[in-house]
Amino acid sequence: MAGDSDAMDDDTKTDGAADWPGNSFASRMVEYTPYAVALGMTYVTSSPGRGTILLPWRADLVGQDGTDILAPGILTALIDHTCGLAIMAGLGFEAAPATLDLRIDHMRPAAPRASITCSAHAYRATRTIAFLRAEAWDVSPDNPVATAQAAFTLNRREAK
Amino acid sequence: MSGAIDLNAIIATSPFCRFLNVETKVDERGVLAILPIRDQLVGNVMLPALHGGAVASFLEIACLLQLAHETGTSAPARAIDISVEYLRPARRENTFARARIRRMGKRVAVVHAEAWQSDENKPVCLLQSHLRLPSGFAAKE
Repeated sequence: MAGDSDAMDDDTKTDGAADWPGNSFASRMVEYTPYAVALGMTYVTSSPGRGTILLPWRADLVGQDGTDILAPGILTALIDHTCGLAIMAGLGFEAAPATLDLRIDHMRPAAPRASITCSAHAYRATRTIAFLRAEAWDVSPDNPVATAQAAFTLNRREAK
Repeated sequence: MSGAIDLNAIIATSPFCRFLNVETKVDERGVLAILPIRDQLVGNVMLPALHGGAVASFLEIACLLQLAHETGTSAPARAIDISVEYLRPARRENTFARARIRRMGKRVAVVHAEAWQSDENKPVCLLQSHLRLPSGFAAKE
């Protein structure tokens, strides 16, 4: 298992984390995406290969009247987007990631009126593919509502 | 049981379905779900393409609608897991989906769904889901 310091493998380091402009710009990944804005996603933090996004509870995003629980589809979007953030945090905006596949296990329903936080980790990347794990929780990261595994394609420019 | 349930009533009781403006109709092939295009659904402004999360959640809804249609119950099933494959970018246009129940157990249903845009033979996204059926539900056969 790769530790934090070598979360990305060698061929990604050639044009990797140095491109990342840092937290002050990372939030654009959330703020400039119409669907992320529409759902109210809020940038929390990022570091190379990792990202965290918060999705505050909102009545119009509930799955079923009377439950006050966010629709599972909201988690899907949040997890997908957080994975995208984690990749760009490692490889820069020009990584241009696109989701190839995404698997989500719903461990339990979120608590009523609970906001959800998602944290994703790009634990491996080749020139063309990034592999990620993500977890989403309402109260504590130790008790996730959902865990996910994803693969993204990267459309990186050739190294000069 | 087929067709006994009003799918529009199910959509009407889901705030998130209303948020997405999901529409539905039933034809001889089953439930057709429609996701009308809106700028809010865009996930990549450069291409532009719909957000993968929007398309996937639309497919989850298509699964629930097909399940309600075939079982005749409006009690919501709950996703245990989903697996989504993105085949091509979903362009900035209306998206359609159909779901198929591959197995209906007493507690769990296996449902597959696919989404397409202009050409049904070129799906943009596939989804497989295990859904926990509402308690007290038993396959009526």
